[in-house]
Amino acid sequence: MNPRVFITGYGVITAIGKDGPENLASLLDQRCGFGKLDILETVHRDTLPACEIKLHDHELCNLAGVSDGAGFTRTALLGLIAVREAVRSSALSPEDLRHAGMISATTTGGIREFERRFRDVQDLAKNVAFPAYLDTADPGEHTERLADVLGIRNYIGTISTACSSSANAILTGARLIRHGVFERVICGGTDALSRMTLNGFHSLLILDKDHCRPFDENRRGLNLGEGAAYLVLESEASLARSGKNAVAELRGYANLNEAFHQTAPSPEGTGALRAMREALQRGGLTPEAVDYINAHGTGTENNDLSEGTALQSLFGERVPPFSSTKPYTGHVMAAAGSVEAVFCLMAIENGLIFPNINFREPMKELGIRPVTELKRGVSLTHILSNSFGFGGGTASLLFSKC
Amino acid sequence: MQTIEELTDQLKAQIIECLHLEEVYEDLDVDMPLFGEETGLDSIDALEVVVLLEKNYGIKIEDAKVARKILYNVRTIAEHVEANRAK
Repeated sequence: MNPRVFITGYGVITAIGKDGPENLASLLDQRCGFGKLDILETVHRDTLPACEIKLHDHELCNLAGVSDGAGFTRTALLGLIAVREAVRSSALSPEDLRHAGMISATTTGGIREFERRFRDVQDLAKNVAFPAYLDTADPGEHTERLADVLGIRNYIGTISTACSSSANAILTGARLIRHGVFERVICGGTDALSRMTLNGFHSLLILDKDHCRPFDENRRGLNLGEGAAYLVLESEASLARSGKNAVAELRGYANLNEAFHQTAPSPEGTGALRAMREALQRGGLTPEAVDYINAHGTGTENNDLSEGTALQSLFGERVPPFSSTKPYTGHVMAAAGSVEAVFCLMAIENGLIFPNINFREPMKELGIRPVTELKRGVSLTHILSNSFGFGGGTASLLFSKC
Repeated sequence: MQTIEELTDQLKAQIIECLHLEEVYEDLDVDMPLFGEETGLDSIDALEVVVLLEKNYGIKIEDAKVARKILYNVRTIAEHVEANRAK
């Protein structure tokens, strides 16, 4: 029998809250982080809204418990805030941390800081200390920072597979535990908004200038966001020794690449379908067992049609309740998988289904409708969480109540 | 004042250059769908044309659904440029 993997704690920061309880309160009140960009320096401030965390870097330093000027990028600061909460909520001791592994995901790393100095670096007369900035463009830089602060010495890894990144961090951590490499692995992802991301998505014509409308016939694109979330994964043996209660079990997972296009998913949703199917197979479940799906649901024309098609192919006439939580947080890129994993854990713990706000009219190609009202007192046993990314990456995680 | 025929020829040359089609097409059929199976060009190539139209004609295209209609073939591009050009 396969060793089981449990989640014993989590932490999260997004535009709707700087910790788990704040995020949950916002989800319950259907409060969204969508609005004008105030902190990111961009010429698009008046035209391209997003879900920005309304805290300046020095305020984030405070929350993260590091001194301003210690060279932490915004991506690393967000990560540190969320990972500290995860460690606290799982009550990990410094000794536990020393033996733990850590896998963190990002797409942008320190691009935000680097682009602020880009012109200085190009100007040879200014003689800017080039390598000091260059380091943060390496996605792994933030993981080293986090591990350093937490005292993780055993193993660190960084994953950057676009918007499926942190789902892949979580399933990689689960594999390390299943193979007996570690008893505890801290997994998740972090991404700060940057001009590169904003301008890149804008060029691709997939940013909605209004609040995004996942799965709606009149959807026009996604809203970007920023944030971080981390999960503490533990082996069954470690759990038995400590006597801790697990939040949930990570019962299944799958990741594959559908190799269709650089930025578009296949219209048939081939990758999405296989990721969900294989996650269920690994968990030894059939589709009928699924109580809720936290969809990738970005609000782009391509994603929602492709993902919706995959849902219909897998579940036929009986598509389980599903919703996208991206209207609340925006698309937090590399952190999307772990942020939404945390929302799934909150759903299981509290018997909630968070509604897919802004949905009005079903897509004409499909007969599916997301959940649009907050549901309380729901008994959720098995939940799927989807995360797909540019480059064809499709991942699905299966969480189960203990 | 440039006629629509002259504009169309100019656009053909610019599109061939910007999408590196010199070795595939000497001339572009104005009614041939520019993106999709026939040419093998995709949405990333379409972005190059969006940039071309902005740089050379001051035309901004910001909506993907609208872009799809404008960029359907050389004829639709030429008609849109003629009606909306800022330079």
